[in-house]
Amino acid sequence: MINRLIDPDQGSISINGTAITSIDEIILRKNIGYVIQQIGLFPHMTVRENIGLVPKIEGWSHDRIEERVKELLTLVHLPPEIFMDRYPKELSGGQQQRIGLARALVMDPPLLLMDEPFGALDPLLRRQLQDEFIGIKEDIGRTIVFVTHDINEAFRLGDRIAIMHEGRIVQVGTARDLILSPADPMVAGLVGSDHLYRHLENLTVQDIMRPVSRVCLLQASTSISSAIVLMTDGGEEVAVISDGSSLSGVVWISDLLRGGRLSGTVGSYARSPPILRPDGTALSAISGMKADGDSIALVMNGEELLGIFTPDEVLRRLV
Amino acid sequence: MVSLELLGTPVLQHIILAYIALIASILLGIPLAILSLYSRSLQKVVMVMANLMQAVPTFAVVAFVVPLIGIGFWPAIIAILLRALLPIIKNTWVGLSSLDPALIASAEGIGLSQWEIIRYVRLPNAYPAIFAGVKFAAILANSVAILTAMIGSGGLGTVVFEGLAGVNMMKMMSGALPAIGIALFLDTSFGWLEKRMVPPGMK
Repeated sequence: MINRLIDPDQGSISINGTAITSIDEIILRKNIGYVIQQIGLFPHMTVRENIGLVPKIEGWSHDRIEERVKELLTLVHLPPEIFMDRYPKELSGGQQQRIGLARALVMDPPLLLMDEPFGALDPLLRRQLQDEFIGIKEDIGRTIVFVTHDINEAFRLGDRIAIMHEGRIVQVGTARDLILSPADPMVAGLVGSDHLYRHLENLTVQDIMRPVSRVCLLQASTSISSAIVLMTDGGEEVAVISDGSSLSGVVWISDLLRGGRLSGTVGSYARSPPILRPDGTALSAISGMKADGDSIALVMNGEELLGIFTPDEVLRRLV
Repeated sequence: MVSLELLGTPVLQHIILAYIALIASILLGIPLAILSLYSRSLQKVVMVMANLMQAVPTFAVVAFVVPLIGIGFWPAIIAILLRALLPIIKNTWVGLSSLDPALIASAEGIGLSQWEIIRYVRLPNAYPAIFAGVKFAAILANSVAILTAMIGSGGLGTVVFEGLAGVNMMKMMSGALPAIGIALFLDTSFGWLEKRMVPPGMK
């Protein structure tokens, strides 16, 4: 519908504020690269001719077309000298789909429309093309509308995901938005909000840390006895020791109790835990901490404490 | 024995007759098939007419032309054309329309106009079917051109019918053998042309 192969019965679609129905459909389509699941390479044309068809119609010179074709084949990781003069039937499914992508990019369209491009490929190849696609996506820096039925594909490839249901957009957001605050039960079921452990790759440290507002904070000069009282009352196993702006570490209630002293300050029991960045993935944070044997980390944005991250608590929350 | 000089004219007449009719039916048939893609009603009319022409015996087609436009060279052309049109229209239409819908979708999607889709996608993909149709039409035209001698078209048919009337075996043969030769030539030359014209990716 975006490229007007189908005109909408109701509603409107705008690109950069212009309603698409006010644009000549041929011009519109030339400005939208189009890749479909069935690929649709022209069997009677070589790879070079397939990619070069629209430029040829647009009156590009032979040399310019040749150069552009080579450039695009290199972009999609197919050596031009091997593939330029092959016919589609001489290519594997994955290679054909790469040519399909190259053809869509030939006029350097500002917008790319991909309709389930990897849907017909086997899972292994799909994964591989997805990885390549992530790289190509960065290289070309274009807006891409990517249609898929595979929510994990959407999570892997998408920056923003729109969930459509019965012809309506139900929710638009990042993978984290959808997982953490699904708009309705349908979205929750689709993204698997109740199985957060599946999403450790898509969630960041910040998403599942305990925010600073719910962390027990103690001054370094707090006496051990009052610290024990405060922490037991709050049901806390661990507290962060902070002196105004500077952090000196964390203190475990088990350390305080084992120490057996009631005089003195908590400062002497402070340990310095690892620091995590808020935008790292939860998965790498947990595996890093497990490898180092750490059970707690501080989540810091520069000098500012955002929260604490304990894998045990994360696992309790997620499962 | 019929002299070669005498034969020269009927052969030439025969070839002119068959080829004008064939070329006319190509020029008429292919555009009609293309237009039929875009108009359901035209497609119906064309297909019914073409099928009808095919169902009617060749002899009857030739005879049918006479009360309408009389006898002679041009009525003969019309009779051959009517006969040769069907394989061309039908094959062209089948070739153009039986294309994988994904190809059309992607052709439209990359911004080709309807004409460009016909020119760059539909026609090249239909070449094998069109060629088969034209080849069949050529052979039909060749054989109908013999029959049209009955309505005064001239050509090899005249020689054959004269031979038949006079029970002159030599004369009959001198009409029939060149017609067979032309048919063989048509078949091989179209085969050769097809090899050259059909894009390698399609074979």
